[in-house]
Amino acid sequence: MLLLALSDAHIPERAIDVPLKFKKLLNVPNKIQQVALLGNCNKSASFLKFINGVSENVVYVRGEFDPTTITTPKNSVEELPLNTVIVQGSFRIGCCSSYTLVPKNDPLSLLTLARQLDVDILLWGGTHNVEAYTLEGKFFINPGSCTGAFSTDWVQEDVIENYKTGVHRDSTQTTTTDTDEQQVEQKEEKKEEESLQESGKNDEEKTESTEINSNSVRNPELNENEGDSSDDEFDDIDINGGGIPSFCLLDIQDITCTLYIYTFVDNEVKVDKVVYQKD
Amino acid sequence: MASYSENMEQAISHIKQQTILMQRSLTQKKLMDALKHSSDMLKELRNPDLSPKLYYELYIIIFDSLSILSQYLVENHPTRHHLADLYELVQYTGNILPRLYLMITVGVSFMQTKDCPAEEVLKDMIEMCRGVQHPIRGLFLRYYLSQRTKQSLTSDILLDKKFDVQFVITNFVEMNKLWVRLQHQGPLRERDIRTKERKELQILIGSNLVRLSQILDDSFPLYRDEVLPQILEQVVQCRDVVSQEYLLDVICQVFPDEFHLGTLAQLLDSTLKLNPDVVINKVVLSLIARLNGYLDRQDDPSVVIQNLKQLHLNGSTDTKATSESNVDSAENKADADVTPTNKVDLFFVFWKYLTKITDERPDLPFHEIIPLVHSIMLLSLKWYPTNLSNIEILYKFCWEKYQEFGSTIPEECEQSFKEFFEYPLNTESFYEIITKCDSFQKLLSVQSVALQKDIINSILDKIIETNTKISEKHHLEKLGAICEPVIPVPNDKSKVSKLTVDDELDDELTFLNPEQEKLAKIVHLIYHKNVDQNTELLLICKKWYYKGGKQLRYTYPALITEFWKLIRKLHLKSLKIPARKEKYYAKIKQLFKYVSRCNADLFNICGLSVSDLLFKLNLQTAAIADQLELSEISYDFFSQAFTIFEESISDSKIQFQAIVNMAQVLQKTRSLYNEESYYDTLITRCTLHGSKLLKKTDQCRAVYLCSHLWWATELSLIGEEEGVTQYFFREGKRVLECLQRSLRVADSIMDNVQSCQLMVEILSRCCYYFIHGDESETHVGVKYIAGLVELIQANLKGLQLEESGDTQEYSVPAQNIVIGGDGSYICKVLSSSVCKVSNKIPNVRIPDLIAVPVSYFERTLNYIENQKQVDDRFNAIVT
Repeated sequence: MLLLALSDAHIPERAIDVPLKFKKLLNVPNKIQQVALLGNCNKSASFLKFINGVSENVVYVRGEFDPTTITTPKNSVEELPLNTVIVQGSFRIGCCSSYTLVPKNDPLSLLTLARQLDVDILLWGGTHNVEAYTLEGKFFINPGSCTGAFSTDWVQEDVIENYKTGVHRDSTQTTTTDTDEQQVEQKEEKKEEESLQESGKNDEEKTESTEINSNSVRNPELNENEGDSSDDEFDDIDINGGGIPSFCLLDIQDITCTLYIYTFVDNEVKVDKVVYQKD
Repeated sequence: MASYSENMEQAISHIKQQTILMQRSLTQKKLMDALKHSSDMLKELRNPDLSPKLYYELYIIIFDSLSILSQYLVENHPTRHHLADLYELVQYTGNILPRLYLMITVGVSFMQTKDCPAEEVLKDMIEMCRGVQHPIRGLFLRYYLSQRTKQSLTSDILLDKKFDVQFVITNFVEMNKLWVRLQHQGPLRERDIRTKERKELQILIGSNLVRLSQILDDSFPLYRDEVLPQILEQVVQCRDVVSQEYLLDVICQVFPDEFHLGTLAQLLDSTLKLNPDVVINKVVLSLIARLNGYLDRQDDPSVVIQNLKQLHLNGSTDTKATSESNVDSAENKADADVTPTNKVDLFFVFWKYLTKITDERPDLPFHEIIPLVHSIMLLSLKWYPTNLSNIEILYKFCWEKYQEFGSTIPEECEQSFKEFFEYPLNTESFYEIITKCDSFQKLLSVQSVALQKDIINSILDKIIETNTKISEKHHLEKLGAICEPVIPVPNDKSKVSKLTVDDELDDELTFLNPEQEKLAKIVHLIYHKNVDQNTELLLICKKWYYKGGKQLRYTYPALITEFWKLIRKLHLKSLKIPARKEKYYAKIKQLFKYVSRCNADLFNICGLSVSDLLFKLNLQTAAIADQLELSEISYDFFSQAFTIFEESISDSKIQFQAIVNMAQVLQKTRSLYNEESYYDTLITRCTLHGSKLLKKTDQCRAVYLCSHLWWATELSLIGEEEGVTQYFFREGKRVLECLQRSLRVADSIMDNVQSCQLMVEILSRCCYYFIHGDESETHVGVKYIAGLVELIQANLKGLQLEESGDTQEYSVPAQNIVIGGDGSYICKVLSSSVCKVSNKIPNVRIPDLIAVPVSYFERTLNYIENQKQVDDRFNAIVT
């Protein structure tokens, strides 16, 4: 049984739409039995229509920017609950948007809620960051934002650090070159270690080349400081708070839940797999 | 001898019979008998009652039979007979129609021999054909002539191309005349049948033009100077709608594209002289389709366009002028004409044509002009995709025409207008067209509201789909002008909702209508890398959203998001270049003011219906300000949120969620612990509101959640770490106070189930704090927890007493019901895998309800037991 968990679309107030590649992936009618919308997904009629096309069975919970009631194909007025529970296989699956959770995004407070709802799996949203972990034998899944919408949370530390040091994603062009060079650097370093073990001779050469590389990484930054930097381009992901578009798909078979995490990075869809078993 | 058979079957069998006899005679070398049989079968073609279709059937059979004869004639010349003699001989056939068929058969056979005066024979044959003036018979006879002479005309080197061409043209002209005459035969009421019959025959006439293009091959001058003028003259002169429409279409189809390019003006001019009933745009459209197709067929279209300049496109229709004077006159014309386009481009030719046709044919209805203009637009977009002034000219032309025609647009124009507006949207330059062509918007603005909405929707879809960034001020303004009709939503409540709830709620229930959703998305496409200019664009956008009245509840949040983004962008910039921090922060402050202005607008216009939304927007903005260490701004937005909470949020459920949400946001702030003790003021107020909520259950939950306000926890996002980070705002004493207060409320609740449930929830909170720190810090210690456990156990005993003696009769599945974070009952129902959530006590058996806190308590105790294995301190809790 497949359960799709989506959260924080924020269409249209923060995002235009789900990435097209996600839509294509999900556009397989009658495959997914259940959809859980974990808040802030209920403003766009076109989005909800799309979701209803994915599966007729949709569970809604209220996000802070959702109305209190919505119209669904099944009910003309459906109240959006704060928490709800889905029973599938031998799992009880809790759903909530975390805006009434204090402290927010805190594993212990999530655990408290999971215990109160007596669930094995807790799906929660509201943070725009995809994550999944187990705690006290329970499985916690946050599908992140399916549109990569702007988040009002604190900006991730690494983004801030990158800007402070100047190695941020400046524009798409420099992004590729930067990462390329960083990859090159990493490779070089790996080689370096290998060569260190083998012989000391090549060592000096290698260090030299890495130095050149690191120089070239810093170069664009220097140029910008000289020019008027008020006009430079910024990466949307950074401005949105570091979140990337993502969603989760749960394959539930009796006592096993296989979680597929879909993320959208550099215009490509990546999939990760995590397996959780109820004990 | 009987003349012709009475019906088809007889006719066919007669022909077949005669054919067999003819063949037998030929094998016996009895030519005269063969000719007699041929003549006999040919009589069948004299039947005046046959429909064109049946006539054609007979013709085909006879054509084959005569081929046998023809073959014999050629093979046996001059051994058995001389074809010149035979040509004379067949003239004596009694009846004219068989005579002419035989004459053509013999004549053409004769032409295949070397000693034949081909030209003279041809002239003679075509002259003789005049003898048959009955339309159908004449048409087929001439078609026979045309088919028979086909090989000889194309293969025979002896004949001059010019002669050939003239021969075909003459035949064509005569055939067309016959064809037209067919229309006027018979009674008037059968006109439609005639027209239908004629269309069945059209291929006979069209075949001549196909022949012509085969003969001409690549001799363009001959085509331009001789062929086309004559054909067109006939087309114009015949004044027949069917003929003109068909022939012009065939002309467009059969001759090479290059020819058309060279004679465009001629061709177009002729359309001006057509019968007024001819649908001109059909002709023009097929011509343009042809030209556009030509460009597609080329390997390198740009070269073609370049080469065009060498063609004399504007060549006058005067065919007698030499090609040199052609150039001159063309150039003179172009110079004299005050048209804004390049004088040697195709568009110009069509544009000139368009102005001419509307001048000369003022009777042309508006709905026929639009498709014409539309087709010229297709041409321009294909050939000159970058020249958008052409498009503007066309829209402007329509706009002027519209004004001439008066204020109303006839309904029949609707569809053509729709296509006219929609087509450019599918081209690459659609964005330029809508933003640069002023007349596009003008013309659109006078259409019916429904059509405008349609088009605007398409435009918005397209912009969104192509992810077109809007970064120019005037583009945005233009777009705003185009979208103006959809910005305010007309008050039609009827279809919105059937509910009889009051107005405010009613509004909340509805989804965004599609246009509002798209409008809101547009703001995300506004982008300028310069923050100031980006801000300006957003403010323009704000202005046109403002016109939407109550709709701004949908559009403003999107706008506010964009302001937030700019704030964050400036923040990142200030990190990158610390030297400019002050400058950037001045801008940031300004942006916060815009957000505040948006909030105020929202409240003033939408009133109470948006209070929850506004509350959230204020909280989020406060959080962002706090992240930038702008404590004062953050405080202001928090205060705003409080004001809204106090004055405008009345629903108790919403109140509870709001206050908890505020606690959550406050708990994550970092900049408010300053000398003015903003943080203290805010959290005290928040907790106070929590304790004053209407329902005791809500009070209890709000207060225990507010306890976290005195217990800051790590924000891993910004690198804080429990045990590593030096300072956290923590006051354990106050935490305990909150928990105690909340417990008192729980204890005072009359409903035992609720009361016990809340106590277990508080116990859970205690565990949270217990894990978090030593009693000396958290003030939540072993003793307190043990006491709470004891209290709960006692209360649960009391609760279980309620079940009285009949416990055995129920065997209750323990996990049927749980109580959610806001006190809602979450029940598993049999029919569905999804639980039912309700705020009221569900209609279940008492033991089921009692089981809720009991099992929850068990789970919590289990948890404590499990913790003992991880954390020694838990061992001190005796349960």
